[in-house]
Amino acid sequence: MSVISELSHIKTDHPRSAEERRARRKAAGRDNKAGYLFLLPWLIGLFVITIGPLIASLYLSFTEYSLIEAPVWNGLDNYIRMLDDARLHNSLKVTFIYVVVSVPLQLGLALAIAILLDRGMRGLAFYRSVFYLPSMLGASVAIALLWRQIFGTDGLVNQILRVFGLDATTGWISDPRYALSTIILLHVWTFGSPMVIFLAGLRQIPSMYHEAASMDGAGRWHRFRHITLPLLSPIIFFNLVLQMINAFQSFTQAFVVSNGTGGPSDSTMFYSLYLYQRGFGEFEMGYAAAMAWLLVVIVGALTAINFYASKYWVFYDD
Amino acid sequence: MALNRRQFLTGGLAVAATSMGLTACGGGSGGGGSSDGSADLQLAWWGNEVRNKNTAAAIDAYMKANPKVKISPQPGEFSSYWDKLATQTAGNKAPDVIQMDMAYIAEYGKRKALLDLEKYGADVSKFVEGSVDSGRIDGKLVGVNAGINTPTILANPKVFEKAGVEVPDDTTWTWDQAREVAAEVTAKAGGGVVGFGQLFVDSMLSAFLRQNGKALFTETGLGFEAPDVQPWFEMIVAFQKAKAIASPSQITEEANKPLDQTALVIGKSAMQMQWSNQIEAVNKSSGGEMLVLRYPSVAGKATDRKAWYKASMLWSASSRTKEPEEVVKLINWWVNSPECANINLAERGVPPNTEILAAIRPKLSPAQEKVAKFIEDIKPELAETPPAPPPGGGKIGDIMNRYQSDVLFGRSSPADAAKKFVDEAKSNLK
Repeated sequence: MSVISELSHIKTDHPRSAEERRARRKAAGRDNKAGYLFLLPWLIGLFVITIGPLIASLYLSFTEYSLIEAPVWNGLDNYIRMLDDARLHNSLKVTFIYVVVSVPLQLGLALAIAILLDRGMRGLAFYRSVFYLPSMLGASVAIALLWRQIFGTDGLVNQILRVFGLDATTGWISDPRYALSTIILLHVWTFGSPMVIFLAGLRQIPSMYHEAASMDGAGRWHRFRHITLPLLSPIIFFNLVLQMINAFQSFTQAFVVSNGTGGPSDSTMFYSLYLYQRGFGEFEMGYAAAMAWLLVVIVGALTAINFYASKYWVFYDD
Repeated sequence: MALNRRQFLTGGLAVAATSMGLTACGGGSGGGGSSDGSADLQLAWWGNEVRNKNTAAAIDAYMKANPKVKISPQPGEFSSYWDKLATQTAGNKAPDVIQMDMAYIAEYGKRKALLDLEKYGADVSKFVEGSVDSGRIDGKLVGVNAGINTPTILANPKVFEKAGVEVPDDTTWTWDQAREVAAEVTAKAGGGVVGFGQLFVDSMLSAFLRQNGKALFTETGLGFEAPDVQPWFEMIVAFQKAKAIASPSQITEEANKPLDQTALVIGKSAMQMQWSNQIEAVNKSSGGEMLVLRYPSVAGKATDRKAWYKASMLWSASSRTKEPEEVVKLINWWVNSPECANINLAERGVPPNTEILAAIRPKLSPAQEKVAKFIEDIKPELAETPPAPPPGGGKIGDIMNRYQSDVLFGRSSPADAAKKFVDEAKSNLK
């Protein structure tokens, strides 16, 4: 952030004469063209594979579309049906629990590890990589498969519990009471990317604040509470928004761990998984499109609330 | 603001992902057809390594005999096969020849995505009785049986021996006796071995309903009501109480396991429901010789158990193919020529064409021979062929599983589960 404010200072010298202004505009126009040229690959991608399908799906959400036959307009039917769809309501509940529990846990853990690593210990780069590793693996199919083995009825976890003499026969992913918690644990474990961002944020906090505070007799907790947290709040906010959106779209873990069923008993039926099942499993692509738009609205609204609430707790030190 | 917009787009990604089907392409459908018999065909199937090898060899043989025909293979894996086929069909790029499953044939057939094969000369005249009609949708033959399958109970004689329990007589056993035998095995074998691995699957529900004068589906819709399926859920609870089956957690896991890790294969159960075309794979993975048993009945008489032949898979064709004659010619060759049968043997199930079966019989492996004999033996026990699940009915097994685990985990009473199961199954039908 400090870098950006320095840059903006450089640009504040105003042109004096009219010619100078014109020359400047011309140069800016040339710059813009070059800019758009460089953006072109991204822009093509945006329009062809994001905006186009986005509009198509909005249209499809008002149709009955089996994929096999052409879509038939049915107005608001899909949206009205959602009101009565108990499995959809359940999938919303599962997804909300997942987001509300896993995001704060993950961010808390990420912050704690980041603070530990920020102490300037030896071999920092090594530890940073080790803690970051699960992030890269966590969303992968291989890890989800491994998870299924570890938490199975005869998996590693139960075998370790048996060593301690416990009669462990719980299926951590096959018992509806525990399945969601196990997937939340998998998500929390992938705390690497928010951790790296926290670490970068911690590095930007000038040490003089801490030094001044400890001179005045502030202990560790007070320094954390009154210096680190406020100065880190923009970073926390950034991570919160990003991870929340991320969590709402979770698919891979539940898909692989439950073998695409969202089971047992729909206990891991995430919203996106149910959407997929409706669209591809049950040939109801119109309904699936409507579900996707409901998700857009929900995530959009929650993000808006997030931004609104940020006024009260995020502190920008400019 | 920038972040706001980006998030809007990110949120839209889910949308984009689902509508990708519109833009996704899966290779062009056959073009360049003409009257000189030349054709360019796509052939899609799902399978395992053995099937992929056999199918490729058969395609080569056909192209050698018909040099003007070019066949592009599209092998696949069962779970992703259907996503791909649906998007290909949506994009008007469905393969010309499609390996079809009973669960999906009505979905495609009723929506006129499949070719009427008889119209172009499909030949099923030599097929054994009861093996053709499952491919008919609304009176039209849209799928030709590629191999006969029948539900069986496989039993591991070694586990029975170890437990000191006699293998039951499968021509007289009832569901109650099956439970007692299984409970005895669980009690005597020890070491976490149970009587039954996977048993309460949709094919067994179908059998149970048929034995009670109902059916999974009729031509027009669901073939049963809540009071018909409640005894089924009660039976599962009885099996659980008697410890004839594994714990609810283990059963849930079992349903998601590949064949070579299932309880029967790894020696953790004495019996398991299995389709007949899987026996060879079970034997191979377990390194043992399984016994093939008839599934139990309500009346305790094999002739009352309402058995049926199911097409393990069918050959269908896209209704939009440019080469309907060539496609049907290829399908005819596949099911009626000794040349092709010699390559595939009984890998797709026992050939429904009786002459073909007779021709390849000496070449069958012992396990395949056992299946072929079993399928002949049960002829007097066959009842009506069940109709294909109507559109929206292909997932009935998943729905059933969900309510079954509710019952097994004690989250729902059999009566409640029965009611919810029927409601949901009905609302899914279109």
